[in-house]
Amino acid sequence: MKQTARIISIHAADTSGVCSMLYELGGMVVVHDASGCNSTYSTHDEPRWYRQDSMIYISALTETDAILGNDEKLIDDVAAAAKDLSPRFIALCGAPVPLLAGTDFPAIAAEVESRTGIPAFGLHTSGMHSYLTGASEALEAVVSRFCTDELPRTDAPSANIIGATPLDFSINGTMESIVGWLNKSGFELVSCMAMGSTLDDIRRASAAHVNLVVSSCGIATAELLRKRFGTPWVAGVPIGKSFSGKLASALKTAAETGECALPCAERDASSSGKKLAIPGETIFSGSLAAAIESDLGAPCRVLCPLEAEDKLLASGDIRILDEDAAAKAFAASSGVIADPMYAPVCPPDVPFYRLPHEAFSGRCYRKESLNLIDRPLPWRF
Amino acid sequence: MLKLAFYGKGGIGKSTTVSNLASAFAANGLKVMQIGCDPKADSTASLHGGARMRSILDLVRERNNDFTLDEMVREGDGGVICVEAGGPTPGLGCAGRGIITALEKLQEKGAYDVYKPDVVLYDVLGDVVCGGFSMPMRKGYADRVFILTSGETMSIYAAANIAMAVKNFRGRGYASLGGFVLNRRNAPDEDAKAAKLAADFESTVVGALDWSETVQQAEQLGKTVVHAFPESPMAAQYRALADAVLAAAQKGDAPC
Repeated sequence: MKQTARIISIHAADTSGVCSMLYELGGMVVVHDASGCNSTYSTHDEPRWYRQDSMIYISALTETDAILGNDEKLIDDVAAAAKDLSPRFIALCGAPVPLLAGTDFPAIAAEVESRTGIPAFGLHTSGMHSYLTGASEALEAVVSRFCTDELPRTDAPSANIIGATPLDFSINGTMESIVGWLNKSGFELVSCMAMGSTLDDIRRASAAHVNLVVSSCGIATAELLRKRFGTPWVAGVPIGKSFSGKLASALKTAAETGECALPCAERDASSSGKKLAIPGETIFSGSLAAAIESDLGAPCRVLCPLEAEDKLLASGDIRILDEDAAAKAFAASSGVIADPMYAPVCPPDVPFYRLPHEAFSGRCYRKESLNLIDRPLPWRF
Repeated sequence: MLKLAFYGKGGIGKSTTVSNLASAFAANGLKVMQIGCDPKADSTASLHGGARMRSILDLVRERNNDFTLDEMVREGDGGVICVEAGGPTPGLGCAGRGIITALEKLQEKGAYDVYKPDVVLYDVLGDVVCGGFSMPMRKGYADRVFILTSGETMSIYAAANIAMAVKNFRGRGYASLGGFVLNRRNAPDEDAKAAKLAADFESTVVGALDWSETVQQAEQLGKTVVHAFPESPMAAQYRALADAVLAAAQKGDAPC
C-alpha cells in the first residue's frame, strides 16, 4: 500500500520537532491546536518533560474558533500569557486544522510582537511533515533573529554543534560524549543547538571557527551562519573509532580552509551484493554506515525515510517512501540496523539489530538506546 | 516588482479590467504576470483567445507535485504570463484552501524569480469570504489592493467589506489599500457614491471606466479591448487607468 504505514510507526511530526528544538531556550512555544494535544508533542517523545521546565502550550483551538477565524482570541491569549511569563521569544505554530483554515502564523506573530514587544515568529508546521522540517525551521528562526552580531573568533579552535534534539540523540550520555570528543579533538564548544546550551550561548555562535551538523535539521541553520559569518560546516556524528577520527580531521580542515564537508556521505553503496540496511535520519545513519564499514568491514546502505537533500545521500543509498519500500529493501539486505518498530517488516531470515530512535518510537525503547560515540561498535557481522 | 491585487463584488468586471490593464502594461514594455485566483479559472481567457487553460489545481489533482513551472503558465497576447489558480470539484472541497495551495505552489516553483515580472496582477474572486481569499494580500504577495465597484448598492457594500478587511489586516504587514476603481453601470449618482466610499476609507477613486459595447465585442473575439481595438475610446480609458493604478501603487507608504 503506497505512502501508508499499516504495520510500523511513523516519525514524529513537524510540530514535535519545533517543541523539541526550542525546549531549552527560554522561549514560549504555542501550538494552535485542540486541547489535550500537548502530550503528543511534548511528552511521548520528550524525555525532558518531567525534569526540566519549558513553556510549551496548546491554544485549545475549538471548532468555533476554526470556523469563525478567531485569530484575535489566540493573539489575546498569547499576549496575556507572555505578560505573566516574560519569555525570551514566542514561537507560534500550527497543526492540521489551522492548515486547512489557512491560518497565517507569521502575520499573527507580527501582531503578537507588536503588542508584547517580545520577539515572535510564526512557523509553518502542519503535522504533515516530519520532525526534521519543524526543528529545522524553528532553529533557523531563532538563530536568524538572535545571532546577528559578528563576534571575533575565539582564540582557541572552537565549534558549535547544530541540530541536536532528543528525537535523534537520546538522553543517555550521547551528547556529553560528542562534546567530550569535540574537546579531545581540539575544539572548545561555543554552543550546542539545542541541548545543554542557553539562548545566550547560541547568540555567541559567530565566535566559533566551524560548525558540526549532527542532524539534517541543522543544515539550514549551518548555511545561514555560513552566509552571515562565513563559518564553514561539517556534517557527521562521531560514531565508532575510525569515522570519529575522520570527522575530527574534517573539522580541522574546514576550520583552516573555510570549506564545508559531508564526511557522512563520503561513501559508496552502489556496488552489487547485499549490504546492511540502516534506515533513519540521514546524517546519523550515514555516519553509522561509514563507521561500520571502516571499523567492522561490513558494507552498508542508508535507507532514507525522511526529508533530506540529495547531497546528504551517498551513491547507492535509497529513499524509502513507505513501509512497503522499507520491507522490500530489508529483504534484499544482509541485515538491518534500525529502531525496533521496524522489526515487523523485516523478513525472519534477515538479521535485525535493534537501535532505538526516539523520533520513531518515542519512549517505548528508551532504556535500550545506545551511546555509539567515539567508541568500539557493539556489533559483529 | 510591483504586486497588485484586485478585489470586488462578483460580476463587477474584475477579470475584464485586470486583463485590459495587463495588456496596457505589456504594451508599455512591462513584463506582466496575471494570476487568476478564482475556482472558475477564466481570469486570463481574453489574453489567450478565450480558451480555457489548465489551472494549477488541475495539475495538483492530476500529478500531485510532479509538474514543472512551465506547465503552470501560458503566455498570452503581448507576452503576458497567464496563471490560473483553479479550484476544487464544484460543490466539494475548499476553494479558499485551494487558492492558498495554488499560490504556494507558484512560489515554491520559483515563478517570481524565474519570470521576474515587473508587474504581478492578482485577480481575486468576489469577496474576502475566508482566509484563502485574503492570501493574495498577505505578506510576500500583493503590495497594494485595488477594489473595483460600480455605483450600485450591493457593489458598494461588497467594496466596503473588502476595504474593511484590508484595514483590519494592517497590523499583520499585509497589502495596503491602493484605491478604488469605478466601473460605471450608469446607476444614479455613482461617481459621488464611489467618491464617498473612497473617502470613508481615506482613499481615492484612482480611475473610472464607462460602460461600453466595445468591451463585449472584444470579449466575443476572445481578446482584450486594448489588444483588439487599440484605437477605441475604451482602450484609451484602460490605458489611462493603467497609468493611474501604477501611480497610485507607487505613491505613499512603501509597500508592506
